[in-house]
Amino acid sequence: MESRGAISEEKSDSALVNKGQSQVRVAVVSAGIVSPLGVGLEETLRALRAARDCISPITQFDITECRCKTAGQVPDEQLISATGNGRRMKRLHRASRMMICALDELMAQAPGFRPDLTVVGTTSGGMSFGEKYYRTLHGRHGERMAPAWIANYPPQKPALDAHEAFDFSTPCQVIANACASGTNAIGHAFECIRSGRYQHVLTGGYDALSELVFVGFDSLQAATPEKCRPFDQTRSGLVLGEGAALLALENLETAKMRGANILAEIIGYGISTDNHHLTQPHPSGSGPVQAMQRALESAGLPASAIDYINAHGTATPFNDAAEGNAIAQLFSKSVPVSSTKGMMGHSLGAAGAIEAIIAILALQDQLLPPNINFRRSDPSIDLNIVANEPRSARLQTVLSNSFGFGGANASVIIQSLAA
Amino acid sequence: MSLGIAGMGWITPLGGGLASVWERLLAGESAKAEAIHDSLGRTTYFAYRVPTSSLSDAPKHARLRRSSAISRFAVGAGLEALNNSGWKLDEISAKRLALIFAISNGGVIYTKRFYHDIVESGAHTASPLLFPETVFNAPASHLAAILEITGANYTLVGDGAVGILAFKMAEDLIEANTVDHCLVVGAEETDWLLCDAYRKWRLLRSEPPIEAFGTPARGMILSEGAGAILLSRKGSIQIDQVLSGRNFVRRKDAAAGLRKLFAEFNGDAGAELVIASANGTFIDVAEHTAIVECFPGALVYTPKPALGESVAAGSLWQVICAAKALSDQQLPPVLNAAEANGVRTNRRRLDNLKIRRALVSVCGLNQQFAGMKLSV
Repeated sequence: MESRGAISEEKSDSALVNKGQSQVRVAVVSAGIVSPLGVGLEETLRALRAARDCISPITQFDITECRCKTAGQVPDEQLISATGNGRRMKRLHRASRMMICALDELMAQAPGFRPDLTVVGTTSGGMSFGEKYYRTLHGRHGERMAPAWIANYPPQKPALDAHEAFDFSTPCQVIANACASGTNAIGHAFECIRSGRYQHVLTGGYDALSELVFVGFDSLQAATPEKCRPFDQTRSGLVLGEGAALLALENLETAKMRGANILAEIIGYGISTDNHHLTQPHPSGSGPVQAMQRALESAGLPASAIDYINAHGTATPFNDAAEGNAIAQLFSKSVPVSSTKGMMGHSLGAAGAIEAIIAILALQDQLLPPNINFRRSDPSIDLNIVANEPRSARLQTVLSNSFGFGGANASVIIQSLAA
Repeated sequence: MSLGIAGMGWITPLGGGLASVWERLLAGESAKAEAIHDSLGRTTYFAYRVPTSSLSDAPKHARLRRSSAISRFAVGAGLEALNNSGWKLDEISAKRLALIFAISNGGVIYTKRFYHDIVESGAHTASPLLFPETVFNAPASHLAAILEITGANYTLVGDGAVGILAFKMAEDLIEANTVDHCLVVGAEETDWLLCDAYRKWRLLRSEPPIEAFGTPARGMILSEGAGAILLSRKGSIQIDQVLSGRNFVRRKDAAAGLRKLFAEFNGDAGAELVIASANGTFIDVAEHTAIVECFPGALVYTPKPALGESVAAGSLWQVICAAKALSDQQLPPVLNAAEANGVRTNRRRLDNLKIRRALVSVCGLNQQFAGMKLSV
């Protein structure tokens, strides 16, 4: 392993040069979130403050033969109460309902927001409708609903449903970069505004639990029958989650001119591809190092400017080792690190967007979100983990990581506007 | 905007190789539809498959050992596009190259196998080898590993319009100076399960042919393969405009959407050639209406009667057809076009076209439409 912080020292000059370029600044002017932590920003913040464990036994499908029995789930009653249960809504997939619910909260804060472009991330969209369709084919009965399932199954459909619900007619790019999708979407949306090519971009991510994906992670033995314990010495895997989170991005100057309430500023984005293996990161953490380094260069900041890292932290032995290694190469040991997946599970394509909003809440509330279920430090991971309880801290700049299958790595840097 | 095509490659049911497939299209050849059987034992469908011989030049790479057909199609097309450009990829240039992948149905063969095992025999039989290949970005990951791309790698999902959305993303990345080149790839594989789904969705025809602009619209036949286009700041074929389109709610709204899209294309001369996505479904009606209104004098070509409906790969094939028509000034015949359909579809190969601008119109099967304007 390189000595701690060595890479960031080398790169700080080029990063600072980048800062000198005149580029449009990017504001987050509103946000909406649905996750196992709750519906809405306020409920999410309360859950973070309380270090609430929102993992529960799976109820949506049969998991008798799986090792893992739990997940972070958004209760149907919450979705129904948030979106209603009219005839059209009943036909939509849960992922669509979550997106509509998140967009509803976002639009309540910024009623005039009309995006020029939508960039969102997902991994499986309405997968469970595809499962129902296949099961009816296999069982040779109950195919009456098949056309509706097929029409609402495609992964982009929840984004289009949310557009329809709010009468948006906007080009919609749906990124499916596995578990990095949400952060990739936010990063690309950020670059679209920063380049001056767009003024308003709707971004975020969504995913709903599905049997196929759940069994898939179980078959890889990446999911744990125990508690999810990111960065713990005894960590044994992830638990899945679900949710949707959306952010309204806008050119900061125009947002200020119209007196918009600005939640935070996105200042950097890094993307990298690790070609080591389809499902495993290179143990050196080279992919995450590149993504974080590129995000720092994009922000024009040295690593020492980062006050908190919201880690990908899935709690699989491979991910946490590689990510821990990568963070240690770039940052000083004092920077606080936590993964919030122990509280809510890994919501795949939604994770990056949910965690970006958690990072914004951390900035607003001057709070370090807790890394729950942490018992024992892993001697091979030398990080300042925010163990089990939230902490107060002076935060100006935070970094959020997402890494996925296919070697997809993405990092975003978010700053409070006062910084 | 300064965006050009530096190289192209495709793997189709008419075989692989840019020159070879184009020659076969010019000669009026159509792919042969194969009968594929529902493994649950009820129905036979027809689909256009990629001949095995088209992949004989595939690299012997560890990533391709267990990969699904879709990944091998994508690698074949991607490598051809790079070779066709003459550009040598090295460690430095690879960092300034983004891979942008467009997919609609994705790795359906392994996804079905994986889920079938769960349904048939229980979750404990689910294969950890198959599951990673079911993820939408698996083909992009394999191609990135083979090309040793370590920078930006995006997979976009959507209907047929997703190919054009991928070009828009490429344009945004190159214009923002994030990268110098983008390799845009669209790929699909086909399977009886997709045929069943599209049949239940009332979009599939029970057997060939695909009749373009026919009344009534009798449906399409699925196909598979890949298309790849290397974009650069320069190229003999310029991309003048990419409109990443909108979404429509009902099929009957598609024509109005396309009309609006066509109106957004700038330039006073309009389009001399429209490469349409007409495939024997409601799309034909929508495109017909919009073309007649906006570009009544334009020549119209659709490759789908010859190659089938390959969704995300299909939109890349349309762009390749537009680029080849502009560069070679030739146009293949539209196969099985309805008589007196009201648009200028040619029934014979055309040479010496003398055209400078072409429009690619893509209306997807699931609520999205988009377009692109190219010139020589």
